[in-house]
Amino acid sequence: MTTTIAEFFEGDLAPLVRRMADRPRGEGGDTDDDRRETRAMVWEGLVGLGALDGSDAVGLAELLGSVLYQGPLLDTLTARELFPDLGPAPVALAEGSCSDQDDTVTARCDFVGFAAEVEHFAVVGGARSALVRAGHPSITTRRHEETGRGELYRVDFDGTPVTAWAGPLDWAGAQVRQAAYLVGLAQAALDHAVDHAKTRRQFGRAIGANQALSFRLAEMSMRVDAARLLVHDPGTAAHAAATLAETADLARTVTTRTMQIHGAAGMRSDDDAQLYYRRAAAESVRLPQPRG
Amino acid sequence: MTDFREEVCALLCEDAVRAEIAQSRRMPYGQESGLLDVHRRLGKLGWLAINWPERYGGSGATIVEKAIVTEEMIRHGVPENVHSLGVDIVGNAINLMGTDEQKERYLPGLARGETTANVLFSEPDVGSDLGSLGARAEPDGDGYRLTGRKIYNMKAQHSDFALCAARTSTGPVNYAGITLFLVPLHSLGTVIEPVWNLSEERFDLITLDGIRIGREDVLGEVDDGWQVLNRVLPFERTGLDHSAKAERTLAALREHAPPGCEERLDRLETRVRAARLLAWRCIANLHEGKPDEIHSATAKWYTSETAKEVSVAAVELLGPRALLDARDPDAIADGVFDAVFREAPGLTLAQGSSEIMLYFVATSKLGLPS
Ligand SMILES: Cc1cc2nc3c(=O)[nH]c(=O)nc-3n(C[C@H](O)[C@H](O)[C@H](O)COP(=O)(O)OP(=O)(O)OC[C@H]3O[C@@H](n4cnc5c(N)ncnc54)[C@H](O)[C@@H]3O)c2cc1C
Repeated sequence: MTTTIAEFFEGDLAPLVRRMADRPRGEGGDTDDDRRETRAMVWEGLVGLGALDGSDAVGLAELLGSVLYQGPLLDTLTARELFPDLGPAPVALAEGSCSDQDDTVTARCDFVGFAAEVEHFAVVGGARSALVRAGHPSITTRRHEETGRGELYRVDFDGTPVTAWAGPLDWAGAQVRQAAYLVGLAQAALDHAVDHAKTRRQFGRAIGANQALSFRLAEMSMRVDAARLLVHDPGTAAHAAATLAETADLARTVTTRTMQIHGAAGMRSDDDAQLYYRRAAAESVRLPQPRG
Repeated sequence: MTDFREEVCALLCEDAVRAEIAQSRRMPYGQESGLLDVHRRLGKLGWLAINWPERYGGSGATIVEKAIVTEEMIRHGVPENVHSLGVDIVGNAINLMGTDEQKERYLPGLARGETTANVLFSEPDVGSDLGSLGARAEPDGDGYRLTGRKIYNMKAQHSDFALCAARTSTGPVNYAGITLFLVPLHSLGTVIEPVWNLSEERFDLITLDGIRIGREDVLGEVDDGWQVLNRVLPFERTGLDHSAKAERTLAALREHAPPGCEERLDRLETRVRAARLLAWRCIANLHEGKPDEIHSATAKWYTSETAKEVSVAAVELLGPRALLDARDPDAIADGVFDAVFREAPGLTLAQGSSEIMLYFVATSKLGLPS
């Protein structure tokens, strides 16, 4: 399944996918509507190719990171662990202290992904998890203005009716998938840096001919290699939060260095280096993980 | 001295000034602030370029007072690029190397905070290796015609003129044959195109299509631009801007960090203190008339890397809250963490990248083979 999905992302679709949730900032280009259409099309494609089956979810997550996929798929996979009967509908995880009275939810949840285009929210993080229908009038959403410029929302639930209850979420599966996503992202950023180091010339030669850069790239390649083994190792489930923290650090480090190797060119809105850098910031702080 | 610092702080803490600074950080996307009232206030007092002679709008004070003004402006969050380009780089170069005429013409406006200038060095194919620049100034009667493409410069939309590096002759040594010119920015034959980027401030791509400049627009000697740059660089490369920025970010981080981060914050604070000491060592060198290139490179590298480290640590320690932009109603600390995170990559690139500083220290200080 992962191979078919990898093929799906190849070619012309790749650059569109990388920016399918990157909101332009007054600089023209595709509109939000164009991007929403791409996201809807990618969602259909992924579901059609069996992405919700749950087989090799870690490999799939890594692949999604490597193409910088942005959408509700990873949240949906996590929600399906709690609510196995969900159909193929997109779900967003909303993390908040859920004061569950009667059969309603009242909670403020920040940094909820793709809140404007999912069919359900899974309110998680408390002693019980609640499934609610998106679009209910008791729900208000506001898109955050944030570094990633993606589809992150503040969502307020005010007495929202619950359609299904489940036990507390065990974060481990989500954490390992997110860690795998970050490994994919780090690998893609690294590839971008290596390409630049081979082609950009200063002082009469490729900048990558300088060991100051080539050794740094080699070191990153080795760290990504190690992290990949880690996320695919069955033993990792027992260390999921720490693995997520490690790959979060890796993604931030690799993308920060990718920026440095690119020079001022990497800061340009039309260069993907800054996109990896911003996405790594946003993706590396998702889900509970040890900090500091 | 402390009294002067207090006076500067008092002005920068006035409600109207703080409101203006906060407002300047919340401009609609695609817009950015130029010179603010606070610049003009400082200018009126003769503080903006306090170390320049009084007749050019300064107060005849020393580089130490100038450093205090710069440090406090950044600590208080005044957007610094418009000031550092106009006063600290271009104005300073004119003050050090310009003719009396050039000083009369350009310095008072800069010192009053009424005009600014930008710097046209980098080109699409020329970054770290400035010696290989391709813009050319061809002799034309008693002046020159300037042709070339300059990129990654900033604030063209707010600047009246620029300091531009172009080749006036070719020879076996790249660095020889470069001349610095003071050029008008908004004349026929100059095309300015925005290059949008990660930060709040756009870059520009500027095409100079044979614009005419006079002999009197040469700064320093013809073919001798490299010497001018070397004379000016130690003033640009003190690291004070970065150390002040790191201090500001760290103070905000301390305020908002969750419990349990104290040790990490203490270690960061130690680095920030060291950064400030390195910056002030450079100021002391300049004050004594003894600029030291190794001290400058050390300060530039250490302060910019530290400022970058603090901005990335903020994301790690604060989590998603650090990412909220000043425009988000739930932003913490006026969105400073998002702003510095997006600026951070530029700190270790502009004004001499970290690798170039390392190379310089490896070869010049440690005597390693080049
Ligand atoms: C925020 C910002 C503001 C700027 N403002 C201005 C401005 O006002 N005017 C202006 O003219 N320019 C400006 N610049 C451009 C700046 O001068 C260049 O970024 C700088 O000269 C480096 O060039 P580059 O970015 O093209 O990187 P490159 O020279 O392409 O270098 C890319 C990477 O390779 C490294 N590298 C290069 N050579 C070597 C080597 N021999 N050994 C090891 N590593 C090496 C560099 O350190 C860097 O990490 C600005 C840049 C930024 C980021």
